[in-house]
Amino acid sequence: MKLILSDHPLPLPDLGPEVRFVDLSALRIAPCTGCFGCWTRTPGRCVIRDDATAVYPLIARSEAVFYISRLCYGGYDTPMKTMLERAIPVQQAFIRLLHGETHHVQRSVAMKQATILGYGDISPAEQEIFRRLVGRNAANMNFAGYRVLFAREADLEQTVQREVTAWLAS
Amino acid sequence: MAGILILNGSPRAPRSNSRRYAELFAKASPVPTETVNITRTNHGELCAKAARYHDVLLVFPLYADGIPVSLLNFLKSWQDRLPPKKPRISVLINCGFYEPEQNDVAVAMIEQFCRRTGCTLGAVLKIGSGEAILDTPFVFLVRRRIRALAAAVTAGRPRVLQVTMPIPKRLFVAASAVYWENYGRRSGISKRQMQSMDIEPQPPVT
Ligand SMILES: Cc1cc2nc3c(=O)[nH]c(=O)nc-3n(C[C@H](O)[C@H](O)[C@H](O)COP(=O)(O)O)c2cc1C
Repeated sequence: MKLILSDHPLPLPDLGPEVRFVDLSALRIAPCTGCFGCWTRTPGRCVIRDDATAVYPLIARSEAVFYISRLCYGGYDTPMKTMLERAIPVQQAFIRLLHGETHHVQRSVAMKQATILGYGDISPAEQEIFRRLVGRNAANMNFAGYRVLFAREADLEQTVQREVTAWLAS
Repeated sequence: MAGILILNGSPRAPRSNSRRYAELFAKASPVPTETVNITRTNHGELCAKAARYHDVLLVFPLYADGIPVSLLNFLKSWQDRLPPKKPRISVLINCGFYEPEQNDVAVAMIEQFCRRTGCTLGAVLKIGSGEAILDTPFVFLVRRRIRALAAAVTAGRPRVLQVTMPIPKRLFVAASAVYWENYGRRSGISKRQMQSMDIEPQPPVT
């Protein structure tokens, strides 16, 4: 399946049955408290039983993800970052070497192609930080490949329409 | 004000590794320090307090390759309430993985905050294997680096320091397995259970 995860509602083309759209602004998701319960007490399940528990399984089983987030200081802004922090139940506590670097062992997480669209008033320095961030995410979030896109807020809907249409066909 | 304000940005600040790193820093600092935890509701109070200091040290963990939401939200509040004379911001970051360099992007985000707001980035210490190193014999290396950090912050020198366990990565992987196995055992969960490949029963597809 394919997943579009956005930090706000978007007018989208017809997605078909194999694509899920999740609008984080419509969900109730508390920040991770760093308790490690999802690794050591109820492996694979977050102890906070809110809407995030319906989202990280979707992330895990998607072979293609399209994330749309406002950026802040070169990283994801609060709604997307909150969700990504809450997604660590998809990993085990245990560590492995990946490309010579330490990373967590993944549970049943599909390898995925990721398209990440950052929007807002983004300076060249912030673009550079965000590209590096997504490069780091790739190792921790099972990205087999990734694309990073940027849009100004005024152009966002148009960019999303165009890119999502191309992404659905890919 | 002379002295250093230490802000703990860990989501589990009262029980965090950041708390222990901050304590080591306070002990090593040649000038007085004051430590406060960032919570969801004390941003206003912290901004007012920070306005009285020239030096602020942010102590926090790496979360999903970046700064934790707890700290991000504080920075967003702080951005609009900085005094005309901007502080110098130093960083003490720790991550669970072995490589201190995995913290680089989060440090770049703090640097970006400074660029946006006119603050100065001070000294930086990046700790790898930060979840476990304090309870190993290598804690002396952390103390040494934290002393160097405290000296750099006090002198206003923008040094970048790092530390991790001085062991081969494969040994780190094996040692971390034992660490987490013991962690699970304290809650009555076996290694096999922790190794489950299952993620929440799937939500019904609507
Ligand atoms: C939600 C979450 C995300 C994390 N992400 C990372 C990461 O991307 N890289 C890493 O090396 N460690 C990561 N860690 C591990 C923490 O950085 C590590 O456990 C640290 O020691 C926690 O510090 P604290 O006790 O001060 O909060 C993560 C931990 C949590 C709970």
